[in-house]
Amino acid sequence: MTTVLAPVEGVAVGLSAVPDPVFSAGMVGPGTAIDPAREPGKAVAPITGKIMKLHPHAYVIVGDDGKGVLVHLGIDTVQLKGKGFELLAAEGDRVRAGQPVVAWDPAAIEAGGRSPVCPVVALDAPTGAVTAMAGGPVHAGDELFLWD
Amino acid sequence: MAERKVTVAAEVGLHARPAATFVQTAVKAPMDITVSKGVSGQPVNGKSILQILGLDVRQGEDIVIKAEGEGADEVLDALAAIAGTP
Repeated sequence: MTTVLAPVEGVAVGLSAVPDPVFSAGMVGPGTAIDPAREPGKAVAPITGKIMKLHPHAYVIVGDDGKGVLVHLGIDTVQLKGKGFELLAAEGDRVRAGQPVVAWDPAAIEAGGRSPVCPVVALDAPTGAVTAMAGGPVHAGDELFLWD
Repeated sequence: MAERKVTVAAEVGLHARPAATFVQTAVKAPMDITVSKGVSGQPVNGKSILQILGLDVRQGEDIVIKAEGEGADEVLDALAAIAGTP
């Protein structure tokens, strides 16, 4: 059982609220999404493990049991090519759950015409494997969901 | 063993949307699917979104997709079409 933490502060809204059909239909995997507070913040690691992939706008942490969690900071934010994101860790680093990974400003993303909503996805997990989904306001580091 | 070599055309590379579409198609296939970056890359499981994201294939890079068994050509054609779609 893996406890997945909220990577950012905001409101847990569920994947169906993500304005991208690939995420909202659960094609990437099950999980939820956070509509982030519109203030500069630090996105943290949702689980303890290794940073397998680190892009400015998205990262994947893989736990010791091989489970990978994707955090995507905003939608279509790959187009920003890193502008407005500051890396606080490096690919390959081991991080603890709750450790800052990327600094960003959701308000600036939104001002640029993109959704800052953050999908948090259990990769390669069957739909039923994710339970105890948080709803409503969450702080970064709060429990977001459980992954069997 | 049938294979297809294809240049990834999506601007984002084989990430997010293209990766999810690719894996969704691959998991429906009855046989194993492997994907490697370039001709000499380490093959990974084409049915794992985690492993596909881990390959970190960028736009313009080549991947080699392999499958074996009945229907392999059809599956590979479908996967190659996804990877080759801008």
